[in-house]
This record gives sequence, C-alpha cells and structure tokens, in this order.
Amino acid sequence: MTAAPAASTPPVNVLTCRNLRKSFGGKVAVDGAEIDVPQGIVTALIGPNGAGKSTVVNLFSGFMVPDAGVVQLDGVDITSWPSHRIARRGLIRTFQLSRELQGLTVLENLLVTPTNQIGESLKNIYFRPGKVRRQERQHVERANEILNDYGLYGVRDNWARALSGGQKRLLELARAVMAQPRVLLLDEPMAGVNPALVEQIGAHILKLKSDGVTVLMVEHNLGVVERICDHVVVLAEGRTLATGRMSELRSNAAVVQSYLGGVLDARLDS
Amino acid sequence: MSPVIYYGFTLLFFFAAYSILGWGLNLQFGEAGILNFAYIGFVAIGAYITGVTSMGKPPQGSGETYMFAARLPFPIGLLLGGLASCLLAVLVAFIAFRRLRSDYLAMVLISVSLVMYDIINNYVPLFDGADGLNTVPMPFAGVLSLNANSFLVFFAVASVGIAGVMWLIISRITRSPLGRTFRAIRDDPDVISALGKSVFRYQLTAMLIGAFYAGIGGGLIIEFSSSFNTSAWLPPETFLIFAALIIGGLRNNVGVVAGAFVVPVLFTQLPKFLPDIPGHPGLILNLEGSVIGLLLIVTMWFRPQGIIPERPRRADQLIGTIRSRMRRGGEPAKVVAE
Repeated sequence: MTAAPAASTPPVNVLTCRNLRKSFGGKVAVDGAEIDVPQGIVTALIGPNGAGKSTVVNLFSGFMVPDAGVVQLDGVDITSWPSHRIARRGLIRTFQLSRELQGLTVLENLLVTPTNQIGESLKNIYFRPGKVRRQERQHVERANEILNDYGLYGVRDNWARALSGGQKRLLELARAVMAQPRVLLLDEPMAGVNPALVEQIGAHILKLKSDGVTVLMVEHNLGVVERICDHVVVLAEGRTLATGRMSELRSNAAVVQSYLGGVLDARLDS
Repeated sequence: MSPVIYYGFTLLFFFAAYSILGWGLNLQFGEAGILNFAYIGFVAIGAYITGVTSMGKPPQGSGETYMFAARLPFPIGLLLGGLASCLLAVLVAFIAFRRLRSDYLAMVLISVSLVMYDIINNYVPLFDGADGLNTVPMPFAGVLSLNANSFLVFFAVASVGIAGVMWLIISRITRSPLGRTFRAIRDDPDVISALGKSVFRYQLTAMLIGAFYAGIGGGLIIEFSSSFNTSAWLPPETFLIFAALIIGGLRNNVGVVAGAFVVPVLFTQLPKFLPDIPGHPGLILNLEGSVIGLLLIVTMWFRPQGIIPERPRRADQLIGTIRSRMRRGGEPAKVVAE
C-alpha cells in the first residue's frame, strides 16, 4: 500500500499510528486512522475539511490525548506523552495559525528554541556567566544563519508582533528549524500566503528534506503536494482512505469521489 | 534633624521595599505571565515569619500568641521570611498550576489570598489574629545603640542596599535565557511546550523567585514598622503593586522602580504626611484609591506601555560582551539592565 521512496532500501516508518481514535462529545474526529510516515521524505496529509487532519497533528504532538490507539515514534510508544517530552525526542510541530512569540524579537523567537540551555538554570546564570555567554553566542550565530536563509535577518531585532503575515509564516518555520527536528509536523504551512511565498516555503521544505528531516505536512493546495511531497495520505471522516503518490491517487476512484472530485484536475492544471 | 528629613527617609524606605515587591510581581506577571492576584499574601507570609522569628517567645501576660517563635538575628529572619513565602508558592503551584489556564488560575489565586486572610485574621494562635505582631525588635538597634529616629535612617539606608542586591539578582535573570523563556511562556505556553520545554517547571521557577521577593519585601516592612497585622495586607493591596507595574512600565525592571516611586511612594505614602485640608480631615487619604484609579486610566489612555517601556533586546545586547561589540566595529552598546 505504502509507496516506496526512490531509494533501494525499504522505507523505515519513523512515525506511525494504529487504530487512532478521538472524539469530541458526540463528534468523532479521528476514527481509527492508520498513518505511516516514512523516514527522510515529505509526506502530505490531505483530506476535506473536518477529516481530522489537525486532530491527527495534535494527537501526534501530544497536544491531545487519543481515546484509543497507539502512536509510535521510532518504534517507541509515545501515546499520551506530554507535548514537551515528545518534542524532546525530536518531533517538532508548527501551528495552523502563526503563533509567533509576540513580546520577543524575531531573533529571540529562535533563541528561545534550543532545549537544555545552560542559561536556563539559575545556578549557571550567576556562577557560570562565561559558559552561558559562549553558548548564547553559538545560538545567535546559528539563528543568524537560519534568519538569513529565511529572509528575516534584516528584521531580527524587531518585535515579532510587528512582522507581516507572510513573515510570520516564515518565522514559524524558521523557529521549528532552529529546534533541529528529526521529524517535522507542519500544519498548513502555506495557509494564507501569496503564490511567491508558497514557492519559497516549498523550497525551504525541500531543503529540510535534503538535510535528512522527515516531514509530515497538512496541505490543501494539491499543486504544492504534487510538487514537493513524495507520499500522500488521504484522510476522510477520520479514517485513512488511501495512500500513495499524488499521481497514483488521481486515478483512485474512492479518493476522487470522496475528496478530490473535479477539483483535482482544476487545481493541478492551474 | 527636622521631621521632614525623617519623612524623607520613611519614603526612601518604602521606595526600596516596593521596588523589591514590584520586581517580584513583575517576574511573575510581566515576565512569566502568571496573574498572581494573591501576591500580597506572599508578602504577608514573609512579614509574619520574619517577625515571629525575630521576636522570641511572647512575654508572659502580654496576651500575644504566635507560632514559630524564635529570636534569630535579622538577616536570617529575613531570609526565612523569603523562604516561607517560597514554600507557599510551591504549595499554590502544585495545587493550581498543573491544570488551570491563566484566567482561572487568577481566580484561584485571588481565593487563595482571601482564604489566607480569613485564616490568619481569625485563627489567633497563628499570628495573633487581627491584633497582629506589635513588638518586632528593631534590628541592630542594640548593637549600634540606635534610637527610634536614628534607626529609621539606618534601616532606610540598609533597605536601599538590600534593594540594590535584589536588583543585581533580578536583572541578571531577566537578561538571561531563563528570562527569555519566561517571556516566551507568557506569550504562548503551547509553543514552548511544542519546542520541548516543560511549562510547569518554568512557571514554578518564576513563582518561586517572585515569592522570594515578596517575602523579603514583607520582612523589610515588618522590621521597619515594628508591627504588622491583617489591616496591612488586605487583598486589594495586591492591586496597588499591579498599578505600580502598569504605570511604571511592565517587563522593565527600571520601569518597575519608576512605578514604585509614583504609586506606593508619591500617591500612597506621601499623602500620609500632608497636612489635612482645613474642614475636611482625612479627605486626602480617602481620595487615594480614586486618584490611583484615575492615574491608571490616564496611563492606559496616553502611555499604555508605562513611564519607562520595555525595549526589544538587540542581538548585540544578548551576547553582551565587549569583544563582540568591538568585533562589530560599532561603539560599545550602552549597558542597560533590560
């Protein structure tokens, strides 16, 4: 079922879920979804509104606790772990709406990211200021490089709240990159941005892939999915409807009927 | 010396004490986003513990009753006051922080301060109920043979010194990566959690440091005035400190000092020394609440960021070494606390 990436070795699934269920009151959002995220490639999670995509992201990242089912990261059962513990294992998520830390500068938004900073301990602040400063300098250098890549270097000393909508989307991604993720969950990283920026964000995601990061992204723009995603998981009514390459899915009758319909060809042609 | 000078030193003392209280609440609320409506309760615990650990056992027949009586030297009693306040912070944090969002947390905290108030006011064996502690010795008065007036001058100056040390401690925290993580949690705890940091752990840390400041401030107040009872820490007193932060400049330790000068000193303590308006005894003091309220509204309207607003921390300040400044070739950045 799962489409193999171009590599000769069989795909290793970094992130998987089996029989995942979550309901809110009477509404079943995720109803037994089974998802495999192969290592080192970009996987898209698509489906109509209300299919449970964002809920899946929340369940994977520990922001919600599933009613049933198992989530595994590198074969380790992370079901019901608190979000910060999951993040420490290298799974970093972004949010559907940009959630920049408004009262911090753009640079500080990145600097706050690394875990286990020496300067986060009271003891070190007072008794090892040199060590704190050295690490801080390394972090600033790395953050400067990322900000440069993302075109945010010029505004690094500005309040994050003063950024434009598109810049906030870039900052959201840049902050996740600063966390050095192994697995990145992107919840609609291109929501509400102009076509030029869509290309730019797509290029950043491909760059992350070439750096060895595994990506799972929720995306509605099928043209983008076709271009940058190697593997697609279609979710409908909380269940996994189909998986495969986008080109294969275009000919899948169930997928076309449930979600894509006539929209698919129109979007792909545009 | 003329009485005016003593008034001046009294105001100087309150300036120092309220600066300390302001820094503590600023760390909790301004930096870490904990809306601590029980702050005055932490001040009170610090004051009571500092008091009872310096007064010794109540004299026979005095009718005073209180627990934890000891006769410890002043700095130790003061530290114990700060630590007792921290202990309360741990209790409150474990009860309230794990599950509650900030608005509900604020309601729980305001209840905490009301419950504390009722217990201390009514359970006389604890801290002598509504009568409170009235015979707190003047620290160092014996050693330095100070009378009531010279003690006032000595203690005001000593408090400024203590405030100076507290300033060095707090400004280093707010400048550090720890302070940055606090501010990030204030802005969006979910993001910080998604980045792998335990929000609870950091909020507990901020709560503890802030509580220590509250306890030290409270300890200084009881030592200065020799007495302390429940009328000194009615729960609304918390809002006086909040008003000071908002008017002075939230998230800026210098702004907090400005706020401590304007609200508790200029508009609360100073009017106590003003002569009555003829024919209207007590009018000035009764107007205090209204005037501070008005001041708050005017600030929100014309200068919502406060007298001395928070400034973005520039990259070169973050690294903050002379070497990196030289390398950049610019003139050395002005050393600022924030």
